[in-house]
Amino acid sequence: MRLVHEFSIAEALAAQVVSYAPAGARLRGVEIRVGALRGLDSEALQMAWEAVTFGTSMAGAVLEVDQRPWSITCSDCGREWTSPVPFVDCSCGNQAPSPVGGDELDLLAVTIDEEQT
Amino acid sequence: MGDPARTVRVPIVERVLEANDDIAAATRAELARRGIFSIDLIGAPGSGKTALLEATLRRLAGRRRPAVLVGDLATRRDGDRLARWCERVVQISTGEGCHLEAGQVRDALRGVDLEGVDLLFIENVGNLICPVGFDLGQTVKVGLFSLTEGDDKAAKHPYLVTAADLILLNKIDLAPYLTFDRAGFEADVRLLNPTVPIIDVSATTGAGFDAWLGWLERVAA
Repeated sequence: MRLVHEFSIAEALAAQVVSYAPAGARLRGVEIRVGALRGLDSEALQMAWEAVTFGTSMAGAVLEVDQRPWSITCSDCGREWTSPVPFVDCSCGNQAPSPVGGDELDLLAVTIDEEQT
Repeated sequence: MGDPARTVRVPIVERVLEANDDIAAATRAELARRGIFSIDLIGAPGSGKTALLEATLRRLAGRRRPAVLVGDLATRRDGDRLARWCERVVQISTGEGCHLEAGQVRDALRGVDLEGVDLLFIENVGNLICPVGFDLGQTVKVGLFSLTEGDDKAAKHPYLVTAADLILLNKIDLAPYLTFDRAGFEADVRLLNPTVPIIDVSATTGAGFDAWLGWLERVAA
């Protein structure tokens, strides 16, 4: 199920990105930003991206994933920090600091090789 | 021969699921125009989504005019079960898809006579992860957990807990036989979503259905 999840995102991404690579231009890279809430695994996303673009004009384009961390706030001591996982203890001993994650899933940029004119 | 290729970075900033979200927005507007309140029911395989809907439809008979869309990987079993309690049931076979997408819901709705319908239940594919990120055009999302899945499932699925307008905890009748930490489950939910109501139910015994249907009648008045 996990990989299937990343697959459907990779498919949506490929459908979106293809319109940004004009005929004759070669897609080199794709940059996306993923909020912590999305629960997307960067490595699985890379695999899915490679599989989805295999044999297409986008094959070989590098997917760069900016995985946003959770913002953690401790209600006891007020400390704020970021973490790759939502449930963490605070250094003050509080075992239940509040996690807040974003649900963004944004295409930020594409890199293309284009013929010079 | 052309000149050597030049590498250009083109900034875009656009939602990856924009195409899905646009369809969902159109569905939402259409349902609102018809006065239909819609519920996206999301839960794990075996959490009791279909059983919950069966028991819910039975109790709503004569009081509301519901329609049901039910997503399933391969079989028609869920649709057949629900058709006993509701005239308007459409099965959406997703094949290998692990979640419903807005286009499938839009297309399925074209096959339903929505005249007079005031409630739409959408039973998503059994999965706690994938369905959450795909807007279907629903009014609310209901997250269904159950005692047999274990008390750590809210903590392990923060997106659903955060996105849910209501959390139902099913199979509460099995509490005496299981070591489910009910307080710990709620504490995890609260850290992620301080305000979401949590209602304990049993689709089998009907426990908690007054509270669940009361919530539904309030939000979908």
